[in-house]
Amino acid sequence: MGSTTSRTVWQTQRDVIYALIIREMNTRFGKWRLGYAWALLEPALHIIVLAAIFSFIGRKFYPGIPTPLFMLGGIAPFLFFGHCFSKGIAAVSSNRGLFNYRQLRPFDAVLSRVLLEFTIYILSMIVLLALFAWFGIRVTFGNFLLLVEVNFFFFCFCLGLSLVLCVIGERLPELSKALPFVMRPLYFISGVFFSLEQIPTEYHAYLAWNPLVHVIELTREGLFASYDGKFSDFRYFLFSSIAMLAVGLLVYRAHWRDLVRSQ
Amino acid sequence: MIKLENLTKSYRTNHGRKVLFQNVSATFPEGKNIGILGCNGAGKSTLLRIMGGIDYPDSGRVVTDQRISWPMGLSGGFQGSMTGRENVAFVCGIHGIWREGKRRVMDQVQEFAEVGNYFDVPIKNYSSGMRSRLAFGLSIAVDFDVYLVDEVMSVGDAHFKRKCELVISEKRKSSNFIIVAHAMQLLRKNCDVGIYLDGGQVKVCHSVDEAIDLYQTRMPDSQRQKNEITSAVNV
Repeated sequence: MGSTTSRTVWQTQRDVIYALIIREMNTRFGKWRLGYAWALLEPALHIIVLAAIFSFIGRKFYPGIPTPLFMLGGIAPFLFFGHCFSKGIAAVSSNRGLFNYRQLRPFDAVLSRVLLEFTIYILSMIVLLALFAWFGIRVTFGNFLLLVEVNFFFFCFCLGLSLVLCVIGERLPELSKALPFVMRPLYFISGVFFSLEQIPTEYHAYLAWNPLVHVIELTREGLFASYDGKFSDFRYFLFSSIAMLAVGLLVYRAHWRDLVRSQ
Repeated sequence: MIKLENLTKSYRTNHGRKVLFQNVSATFPEGKNIGILGCNGAGKSTLLRIMGGIDYPDSGRVVTDQRISWPMGLSGGFQGSMTGRENVAFVCGIHGIWREGKRRVMDQVQEFAEVGNYFDVPIKNYSSGMRSRLAFGLSIAVDFDVYLVDEVMSVGDAHFKRKCELVISEKRKSSNFIIVAHAMQLLRKNCDVGIYLDGGQVKVCHSVDEAIDLYQTRMPDSQRQKNEITSAVNV
């Protein structure tokens, strides 16, 4: 007999998140033979394609940093962001069956997905960096502490964003149909394949509003010693991620019952 | 004890809001097995879901100090693309049952559900009978003070029904059941107290027969006869 001893809220939360992550991993990687490899292949393919195009054009991106590494610093965070974005919108509708258990609310579904995506992002980045180093594409490592800081706040940013999106996805279905179209242009203006330094200064005023630009700049700064993110603003990014998390939590708190309530 | 306090629940329809419960207060007797009766659309399942804490009323609340199970129903709760085993493991996980306990639950469910090799097949390939056996077996294997049963027993074959009743009579020593069903015989056999839902009100009766009478008088004669016949066939 499975005895449910009374648990504290934290124990319940831990059990739920743990069970959800195992379940997500089963459904994402389990039935697919290439599942785990895909986590690496996706960023790798992006990098290969972009690197091929730009080496064909014959452009060097950044003095002292090989193109694949430069791309990796942009692609990996952006893909993490993109996954959180699309999964966040679908978080409630694709997990309806789960809310049949009272301890499992949309927040848990969102948190576990963002956690899993974050882990995949970090691991794929580490593995790809190691792979590149194996093939001799390597540079001096930059600032590890900065990387930790940036990624911690990036996680907060994506969690907040996913929480907002899970509410939008359920409450404003029309808007949630249109939102994915934002991703394409974001890919081009977020600095995945450029650095702010290469953009004329008069455009900085527009581009620098996008927190993703700062994430990518700061990530590269953390990864490569020779990268000088002159225009990245850690404090702006810090502010925007904390604000995003706060907004996400507030929006979720205001709407969470309506997400699961039968109307 | 389960207590409803000023419960109001309505649904949005194309013709304005349809009120299901209007300011309902009721106390469910403690330590009794309860049968819930009402016509289709009277709000039986909704009441069960609200008591189970997975749906929320517009206003009012449910007060209880007991561990209430999730409503075992036909739909929901299982992920179709995952196997029976994975689904059971997941439900164990969110209830904090790991390792040793999980293995025990797993064995128990497998034995009760009698799905054989289908235990490692995605749930979407199950027949409705298999699915309800698994649902019933799983929720029974996890310990609760009160089990909410929503029409699960009406799908299975005679063998499954007999098994359910065996398990319920065994479980009744330590826990209680709240059962929604249209089979009168089943309610008579398993419940002590009846609750009749009609016109937005919740009427707590002192015996099942009283609630059944209420339910029958509200029904046209032809349907009543039919109901008696089907419930006779069911048993």
